[in-house]
Amino acid sequence: MSVSPEAFGPRTPFGRVPRPRFGVADLPLAMAYVYVAVIAGAVFILEPALLDGSGAMGANFSLVVPLALVAFGQTLAMLTRGIDLSVGGVISLSSALLATHLNARGWLLLPELLAIVALGVLIGCLNGLMIAFTPIQPFIVTLATWSIWDGVAFGVLPIEGGTVSPTLVKAASGGFLRVPKSVWVVVLLLLLWRWLRATRFIGDLVAIGSDESRARLLGVRIGRRKLQAYAATGLLAALASIWVTAQTQAGSPDGGDQFILNSVAAVVIGGTSIFGGKGSAASSIMGSIAFLLIPILVFALNLSSFWSIFLEGLVLIVAVTFNSIIQTRARR
Amino acid sequence: MIEAGADTLRRNSSIVLAFVLAGVLFVAGTIQTTGFASYEHTRTVLITASFVGLVGFGQTLCMLTGGIDLSIPSNLAGAAVLTAFLANGSSAGLIWIVPMVIGLGMVVGLINGLGVAYAGVPPIIMTLGMNSAIQGLLLIYTNGGLASAAPPALVNFVDGNTLGLSTMLLIWIGVALVATVLLSLSAFGRKLYAVGTNIRAALLAGVRVKRVLVVPYVVSGASAALTGVLLLGFLGQAFVNMGDEYLFSSAVAVAVGGASILGGKGHYIGTVAGAIILTLIAANLNLLSLGESAIDISYGVILLATVYLATIRLGRR
Repeated sequence: MSVSPEAFGPRTPFGRVPRPRFGVADLPLAMAYVYVAVIAGAVFILEPALLDGSGAMGANFSLVVPLALVAFGQTLAMLTRGIDLSVGGVISLSSALLATHLNARGWLLLPELLAIVALGVLIGCLNGLMIAFTPIQPFIVTLATWSIWDGVAFGVLPIEGGTVSPTLVKAASGGFLRVPKSVWVVVLLLLLWRWLRATRFIGDLVAIGSDESRARLLGVRIGRRKLQAYAATGLLAALASIWVTAQTQAGSPDGGDQFILNSVAAVVIGGTSIFGGKGSAASSIMGSIAFLLIPILVFALNLSSFWSIFLEGLVLIVAVTFNSIIQTRARR
Repeated sequence: MIEAGADTLRRNSSIVLAFVLAGVLFVAGTIQTTGFASYEHTRTVLITASFVGLVGFGQTLCMLTGGIDLSIPSNLAGAAVLTAFLANGSSAGLIWIVPMVIGLGMVVGLINGLGVAYAGVPPIIMTLGMNSAIQGLLLIYTNGGLASAAPPALVNFVDGNTLGLSTMLLIWIGVALVATVLLSLSAFGRKLYAVGTNIRAALLAGVRVKRVLVVPYVVSGASAALTGVLLLGFLGQAFVNMGDEYLFSSAVAVAVGGASILGGKGHYIGTVAGAIILTLIAANLNLLSLGESAIDISYGVILLATVYLATIRLGRR
């Protein structure tokens, strides 16, 4: 696999280079928009109230928020040719803590939320340290830490429940300027990516994912960058957990597990390369929306909800196969 | 043949180490309580380990090629639920039901294998998606996965003894023999190690790499389905989540057994030791009245430690 300077748009170790023209290899990144348009179009024809009914927008986007957050982080890990399965553990543990020890009312909640975010960063840093400075693959490191933090979560909160701070529940519901807060969060995430994608940080991650030894020769501090990427993934997973816990108003010691498949699926549907070095968190957010439209489509088709579990897996398999074939061709 | 065996042992000193660790854990349990080493308890430990060991057969082959099978949980649960569902409490149909569900498991594995080998999909993502798809299909077919109890003949078969030994253990020994012949004595075994060690070199040496890459997933589908059927007999009932714990334990058993996650190194005999180690750890933690939480944590730590030790040892050579 060769790294050509044209492969990079943003500031890279090679210096600033013009954004490349759209090629076949970029097709997967555009597919997410197609998936969203097709599925949303189908739902709109079948049962328009599911999308434009009163409160439907806020309710739908409130499911998008946590997945978009986790998928954003998963994109960073995948850009470096890695993967983070421990997001499940981070979400479960944060949720268990938010429903037991960290549920103060009023302004006292703020330092507790900061503690949750710090915990996410810390867990991410531990993953990053092991991935950057030991020869163990990201997949094994995070598989192990997923099990460890899930175990700790079960220790903190053995069964679903607990009490969540009413302040938190209130803060995450309703709207701002007559637009649901969930929509604002997604817009903010898209803006964050718009800014981030042109930074040296993302350029370095892309360089690492494209060709790690080449990136090292170019002076990219690989260990530090990987550490930062996984710390960011942990942080975003902790934020996702805060949102989910506020919405469900209960802690769940294994509620994070579903986010592993879902975030990987969102990123893959979004077209970020599973071979590293090419990707976009904005596409992953579109991938999240496409993924979460599946159960809505199943509902609109009047099928049993079990169909969505099947279709979610099927869509992941089809999308990943499509992307793999295109990306393997493009790498030749 | 004997030299080949001795050579395998020498190359896999980590397997010997794994058996030593299993022995240490057994002694630790015996020190804690007197009943630990009794015939009955030892038999229970080994039978519990045999389920991890059986799913571990397919997982070992997958990991030898540098892959992994994460579709084991729903494949296992699917076979169990389907068997209970189709048999509907009677033992008469088992003759055709059991081969059929194992065949279905192989079909699932074949799809995994084709995706990995021919489309170049990373095994983690392929099998993760498959796990969800199969679970969905299972729920649709059974309308929620509530199945009737296990057929009595299956329960008797799994709980019973053959020639004075537990039938489960005999099946496990049989699988271990088949695995040893396959890995150490057959041409296919050599190809599998060749592909796992260096796929390019294997290709240049004339190995049909893609075909070899498909087989482990088919075997894993079959071994997961077989384990599902036997676990149905052991537990007396089937439920949709019954396979979940085997996702992690099968992978950890293979890693603890000294196989390299990168592929090309390891043996099923190591997985046997790994399965026994995991079961003994759970039994020891139960003695200390530490539950699921402690087991999850310790499995994670063990996975990290063994893979770390294996990779640094690989690096030194």
